[in-house]
Amino acid sequence: MAMAPTPKRRLESAHDLELVGLAARGDRAAFGELVRRHGSAVRGLLRRMGAEPSAADDVAQDAFLAAFEQIAEFRGEGAFRAWVSRIAARLYVKRWRREARVDLMADTDDAAGAEVAPGPNADARIDLEEALKALSPVERVCVSLCYGAGLSHAEAAAALNAPLGTVKSHVKRGLDKLRARLSPGGDDDQRSKVSA
Amino acid sequence: MPESSLDSSFEFRLERMYAEAPALADADLFTLRVLDRVDRGWTARRLLIGVMGAAGGLIGGFQLVSSGAVGTLAAISARSNAYLTQHMSDQVSGVFAPASAVMNGEVLLTAVALALIAAGFGVARLIREI
Repeated sequence: MAMAPTPKRRLESAHDLELVGLAARGDRAAFGELVRRHGSAVRGLLRRMGAEPSAADDVAQDAFLAAFEQIAEFRGEGAFRAWVSRIAARLYVKRWRREARVDLMADTDDAAGAEVAPGPNADARIDLEEALKALSPVERVCVSLCYGAGLSHAEAAAALNAPLGTVKSHVKRGLDKLRARLSPGGDDDQRSKVSA
Repeated sequence: MPESSLDSSFEFRLERMYAEAPALADADLFTLRVLDRVDRGWTARRLLIGVMGAAGGLIGGFQLVSSGAVGTLAAISARSNAYLTQHMSDQVSGVFAPASAVMNGEVLLTAVALALIAAGFGVARLIREI
């Protein structure tokens, strides 16, 4: 049922669950507040999965629309952000598989190099975005589905329509590469391996 | 530290890094775009419901007229009216003349049109509630 919009100041201080309840009763402003709070996180996740900024925005919009359509189904068992992120990640995977025609079974060790080269400046802080560039597209998507969108390996395998073992091995390889890049002294370790 | 603990601590750190979302500069613009699409969706749905209701009403009205139901009902109504008039005038002479109870085609069509409009409102409301 449509209802009178809630004052903006009240929305800003409201909990996500309260906003979800208001949005489920047709309060457009409450849903807008949810988008304002979590839009950047969802768009950021999609970019980390490898989407171009414009494609990430398109998919994020679709995900929020889908969330609005299904908002009555959100029971608050987890965080709203995690729920929308999962919707967005699944939508992106569909689009990515359609457009990229990726062979998920392919061995990706050669794609980005099994051995991670040291970063351009070992002393500089290497953030997640930079580290993810060392992963192949498939590894990037698999790792982001599991650690960014919070899907289990089985759920990621279902979303990708790939065997569970394949997804697990992509995740493991991706994690190894990220660990080499992100762990304290990871680059130093690499350098010492090279010098040895 | 055991390797498994190192693994889980790294995985926990990775999850945290994913959760630390950068605030994008055009967040407000993105919100407006999403709300605009929400509104467009509602407008399109309302239009669709309206068009479908109008089409259904036209088809129903056409079927009603072409089936000759109006003529049949008018004839039945006229016969009942004559019967009523005759019997009531016997009982209460000159007190009541039920001329207004005549069911002709116009009355019937008006009633059907009003019923269709009411049904359209009802369906639109129902879909909105769903």
